[in-house]
Amino acid sequence: MRTVVPVIIAFLSGFIMIVAFFFNPDKTILGKIESEVLVWVTIVGGFTLLLGVVSITRVNWQAVKTKKKGWIYNFLTLLSIFVMAIPAMLPSSWSPFFGDSSGSVYDWLFNYIDAPMMGTMFAMLAFYIASAAFRAFRARNAEATLLLLTAVLVMLWRIPMGEAFLRLFSDSLPQMINNYVMNGVNLAVQRGILIGAALGAASMSLRIMLGIERTYMGKG
Amino acid sequence: MSIWDKILQLDRRWIYLMVALAVIFPLIVPMTFKIYITPEVRQLYNAIDSLPDSSVVMLTFDYYPSTLAETEPMSVAALNQLFQKNCKVLTLTTVPLGGPSIAERVTRKIAKKYHKVYGVDYVNLGYKANYVAVLKGMGTSIEAIYPTDNSGTPLSKLPMMKHIKNYNDIKFIFVVSDNGIVDYWISIVNAQYGIPVGSGVTAVMAPKFYSYIGSKQMTGLLGGMKGAAEYEILVKERGMAVKGMTMQSLVHLLIIGLVILGNVAFFASRRNHKKGEHF
Repeated sequence: MRTVVPVIIAFLSGFIMIVAFFFNPDKTILGKIESEVLVWVTIVGGFTLLLGVVSITRVNWQAVKTKKKGWIYNFLTLLSIFVMAIPAMLPSSWSPFFGDSSGSVYDWLFNYIDAPMMGTMFAMLAFYIASAAFRAFRARNAEATLLLLTAVLVMLWRIPMGEAFLRLFSDSLPQMINNYVMNGVNLAVQRGILIGAALGAASMSLRIMLGIERTYMGKG
Repeated sequence: MSIWDKILQLDRRWIYLMVALAVIFPLIVPMTFKIYITPEVRQLYNAIDSLPDSSVVMLTFDYYPSTLAETEPMSVAALNQLFQKNCKVLTLTTVPLGGPSIAERVTRKIAKKYHKVYGVDYVNLGYKANYVAVLKGMGTSIEAIYPTDNSGTPLSKLPMMKHIKNYNDIKFIFVVSDNGIVDYWISIVNAQYGIPVGSGVTAVMAPKFYSYIGSKQMTGLLGGMKGAAEYEILVKERGMAVKGMTMQSLVHLLIIGLVILGNVAFFASRRNHKKGEHF
């Protein structure tokens, strides 16, 4: 029962979505079922977010309660979740600090703490990339040399100073990089990856629908 | 230890200092370089420019605050062009962390500049979980997926939404994103409903989407800050992306210089060691 029911639900959901694509959603029952299923999916999606919050609270609360090593960070995680979420959930008619509109606690925390912190983390990548490029990017063989030269050309092409430098050799050099590197070799490789990934996704979907793939139920 | 060995063992903190200086220097000494427009950016600009007046355009804010430096200038420039053309703008996000707030803040700021009225000229739908279902569901009914806007007002009470039922009423979709959602806008919305989709993405993501440009599934592409800067120039609203180009240029040149230096030092050091072995 615990296996058969999820497999039937997965099969029917997938089957409806595939077949309904060929029917008018306004005029056929199948189309209407599809629209209804899609609304259900967004509702279920909302509950999965709630499940995430419950899960993260349980794990971190356990660590705080047992004073596990580094428990202060677990406490900060909990504090961050609730300080940000609770005022945002309360109606703004009660206080201008509630809700998520401009001037609320949520908005302030987001604009002045969350966004700058995330921006800082991302910006630090520039330092690590520069250091890693210096240490690891070596022309040890033909393939690595080709990769290195292409990378240097593309990096030059993507900046105004570099483009001005490339134009010293030929006015058409930046256009050639666009045509032959980005819209040539890169395009072909990316398309191959995309088609491969799409075929993989299609076959995985089919395996789930037919009940062959059951890892989503915690089974091998 | 030779000079080359010393260079190879350069303390990473010197590299960090050089990167910091490359970022700070243009703030002290302003420099400007001509920015050339790439065909992908021009294609996106032209696609919007050729829309009839008052067309409905969907603009997405599918990015996290971490990539604001690259993506926000794209959203700002897009809103400038859309409001200059008197388009009706429908914004939404598939990113829960910050997406709705960013959309609200950026859209209201630019709308104010053009005296646009919320609910009449633009609407912010906000965020809904499970983006695949959201994208697919809006093909049938936007109101079924988003019964209210971001601030909880029913869509039926917003004048602009009276004539917007589903994708059939939308002329163009402009996706600004820092994640894989762009693939779904192409595979679900463009492929299944035939709505033209243009996108602005981070520089690391951009190479992937050239294949969609090639197959004409994507109408124009802004790649990273450079793409945003080109777009700002076309829209004639120079902003943060154009300003950021000098810093990005210097950091790129520094990285190229470090790669060259690292390789020269590596091969020179290896040659010296080989010579040493012979003696």
